[in-house]
Amino acid sequence: MKTNSKTSMKTNMKTSMKTNMKTITLLGLACVAALSSCKKDDDLVPVPPPITSEVEVITTMTLQFSDAAGIQPDVTATFRDPDGDGGLSYDIFDTIRFMNNTTYNASILLLNETVSPADTVSNEILDEDDEHLFCFTPSFANLSILRTDTDGVFEVGLQSQWTVLGAGNGTTQVLLKHQPGIKDGTCSPGETDIDVTFVTEIQ
Amino acid sequence: MQKTIQYIVFLVLFLLLFPWTAQAQDSCSYQLSGYVIDEHNRLPLSNSKVYIKEPRKVVFADSTGYFVLPDLCSGTYEVYCKHIGCDAVSKTITIEGNTEQSFYPEHHVDIDAVYVIAKKKAEEISLATRKLSEKDKNETKGLSLGDGLTRLNGVRKLSTGNNISKPVIHGLHSNRILILNNGVRQEGQQWGNEHAPEIDPFIADELAVVKGANGVRYGPDAIGGVILVNPKELRKTPGIGGELNLVGFTNGFQGNASATLDGNSNKFPAFRWRLQGTMKRGGNVKSPDYYLKNTGSKEYNFSAAVAYLKPKYGIDFFYSQFNTDIGIFSASHFGNLTDLQQAFEAEEPLESANFSYDIDRPRQHIEHELFKTKAYLKTGKKGKVSLTYARQYNKRLEYDKHPPLNDSLANLNLPALQFELTTHTGEIVWKHVRMNSFKGSVGINGMYQGNTYKGRFFIPNFRKIGAGIFWIENWKSKSAKLEIESGVRFDNIYQRVYMWQGGNIISPAQNYMNMSGTVGVIYKVNKQFTLRSNAGTAWRPPNINELFSNGLHHGAASIEIGDSTLVTEKAINLSVSADYKRKRLSIVFDAYSNVINDFIYLKPTLVPTLTIKGAFPTFVHDQVNAHLRGVDLTLNYAFTKEFRLTSKASILRAVNQTTREHLVMMPADRFENSLEYNFKDIEKVKKAYVSVSMASVLKQTRVPEDMDYANPPEGYSLLNFAAGMDISLKEQSISIGISVNNLLNTRYRDYLNRFRYFADEMGRNISLRVKVPFTLFTPKSIYNQ
Repeated sequence: MKTNSKTSMKTNMKTSMKTNMKTITLLGLACVAALSSCKKDDDLVPVPPPITSEVEVITTMTLQFSDAAGIQPDVTATFRDPDGDGGLSYDIFDTIRFMNNTTYNASILLLNETVSPADTVSNEILDEDDEHLFCFTPSFANLSILRTDTDGVFEVGLQSQWTVLGAGNGTTQVLLKHQPGIKDGTCSPGETDIDVTFVTEIQ
Repeated sequence: MQKTIQYIVFLVLFLLLFPWTAQAQDSCSYQLSGYVIDEHNRLPLSNSKVYIKEPRKVVFADSTGYFVLPDLCSGTYEVYCKHIGCDAVSKTITIEGNTEQSFYPEHHVDIDAVYVIAKKKAEEISLATRKLSEKDKNETKGLSLGDGLTRLNGVRKLSTGNNISKPVIHGLHSNRILILNNGVRQEGQQWGNEHAPEIDPFIADELAVVKGANGVRYGPDAIGGVILVNPKELRKTPGIGGELNLVGFTNGFQGNASATLDGNSNKFPAFRWRLQGTMKRGGNVKSPDYYLKNTGSKEYNFSAAVAYLKPKYGIDFFYSQFNTDIGIFSASHFGNLTDLQQAFEAEEPLESANFSYDIDRPRQHIEHELFKTKAYLKTGKKGKVSLTYARQYNKRLEYDKHPPLNDSLANLNLPALQFELTTHTGEIVWKHVRMNSFKGSVGINGMYQGNTYKGRFFIPNFRKIGAGIFWIENWKSKSAKLEIESGVRFDNIYQRVYMWQGGNIISPAQNYMNMSGTVGVIYKVNKQFTLRSNAGTAWRPPNINELFSNGLHHGAASIEIGDSTLVTEKAINLSVSADYKRKRLSIVFDAYSNVINDFIYLKPTLVPTLTIKGAFPTFVHDQVNAHLRGVDLTLNYAFTKEFRLTSKASILRAVNQTTREHLVMMPADRFENSLEYNFKDIEKVKKAYVSVSMASVLKQTRVPEDMDYANPPEGYSLLNFAAGMDISLKEQSISIGISVNNLLNTRYRDYLNRFRYFADEMGRNISLRVKVPFTLFTPKSIYNQ
């Protein structure tokens, strides 16, 4: 009888010790897991870190025109929103002023002026010209615009030719579409990166 | 010989592990006697078991609660006392002669009511608190928290596509409702419409919604209501067990696996633990006509809890982590307003896709971490003090649709937007049991929070410090028919912002302080009929985005501008509710009227903002007085024992009192009827049922003019089906179920989905679920005699 109770006691003891060990091990594992996965934060910095150039924006678009015949003076037109979308408003928004009966060669310069020195975004467009397309839409018939460059398959529009056919006033919309993998030569697919409508005057 | 060695080894271990039982044992004729008495009502607890484990001695108390443990040697013993429905209590008793010692075991409910203060489980409050039923909980397994809660009448969801949804209580959401996750205020980036609560619904054993303003109990922000997410109580019976949940969905081929393992030590019943984890993976979902590109998600979550809980004192630790990657529907990201207009006019989304599990840009990556510890101590016979500390860390990364053009930047693969929010909260509450008809609690809360951002500016860095003090009392009449509760609270929030302006850091500070109060009545007309009424106030300081945001929302193609002069939003909420339950008929009725002064909303400006991407409609944060009122009604009628009908109606009217217009983005009226057939239990199959329901949402016709790109979508009706049963296998009871949402594959759009402009809602979705409880180990020693 005595032995029996001893044995059962021992078994009990063993089982419960086993349980204890199991529990302790599990707990240990849980604690280690919890501690090792605890995430550090750096919210206690005295001041917020300066804004780095991690975000890319296009702040400035400049259209540069030169008379193909070399007679009329060069023309430039710029739209600039120095802090990007939102925040402060644009500070430069030029009117395009052309001379009648002139054919202009145009090239587009895009800048990110939130960083110093300014980043020339149009060079990156040129690198990825198979994903981008400029579209030009004049509001009046006195202006005809043709893209003159190509990505090998489709036109791009960083270079173009603007032919002035008569005096008058109107507007010209300049669109840049981002068309990764979906470029088909038309303006419809993709997302709009730039959409600026310049007032256009022809003397 | 071997036996002797074993005995010695055993003895050594025994001494090491339990030194207090090791005493010289000479005389063995003493007795331990006493009474087992209920802690609260002082009644004897007859038939209680009083026992010592080593050497094993068990006796039972007689009808007066009296017991005698005879033939004890002098020494120190761990004496246990156990009564049905109570936790085993133990005492270390030194016997040097005949000794008297009484025991006061506590009923489980009482322990829990004190231990999990935020749980309010045993408490009746005068505001309507509606809990998700067991059946609803089962049927919504695998859905997000926001989706699951829509089973509660009066609760809706504000969604951004299919995998981001936020709960809406009586028309209010985001920073106007509060989520208490395991008793801790959830602190994430709740202000964003596309920022869903960072909580694993599988962790919740109880999901409940307190409808209405409740600033006193829960602090600022609880203007619309409070969502309670409570994990299962830790295991009380010795052993190790758990539960496995598997859920699969046909739409998006989403799979969920969640497991829980919990244990209670045989030697120390007060010691309890639990481990829990969930994994989830889903691919592109399909509307009736097309796949929605990049709508997959993946998620992994886990939690661990350890506690040492005694009736008089205890402490617990809880840690959880939530990690998710969410694909954002590709066609929802717009360069400018023309793109949005084009997407809106298109019959189908402009980007098509097939099924895929890949998560591409645009996407979100979110992490949320919670560490919580809580300790309590009984103060005399009448009260208990508890102390809670919690730390939360929230990280939100948002990736734009396109990486930067610059290759070196693109290679870094950085998010366009990153927020890190860390919050420390602490609370001390003293609670007293009913004395002279009064019971109540008094406490203080503190909070310290810091936010940093990287990438594009949307909200600035800030530091926030909050403190509150409250006192609530409840009076109950002698007949227990009438209860009156009342409370008051004072809060102060100080906040300092750090932001760049023209090359300099500016750091304006704000300070907000406010009083809140509540008065409520509970009247039990009879056993079947309870009436509740409550008048309460709540407030919230303007949120950081409302004060300082300034930027372009790609999803909404709009510019939002904050206003740093905004003042506190204050709500006065009146609510009445009635619960009636007879054998066949039950009625649940909630009516409310919530007047919110200085309600902050986005007001369109007449002048759009011109950017290099074109002109964007521009919204500023403005304040008006708003009035929201409505009713939620649920009727349940059992035709026979097997067959029952449930009808729900939820109606809300929300008015901008300043301009006499309707408020924007308010849920339309909703009606639901369901028929349920419950099969008779047979030996192996129990709780078997089938149900069919028809949910109808009307077209929202009450909208302000010129606030939206398009008219609200038409109303719709969805047919849903569900069935489930419990199958007994040996000692286990396995639950299985099937649900079909949108059975008829109806094409529809919902006004509260921000993607309503350009994509249909999800089509038919069949889900299968299995719940397997299991026991790994049950010790015999504590129960067998």
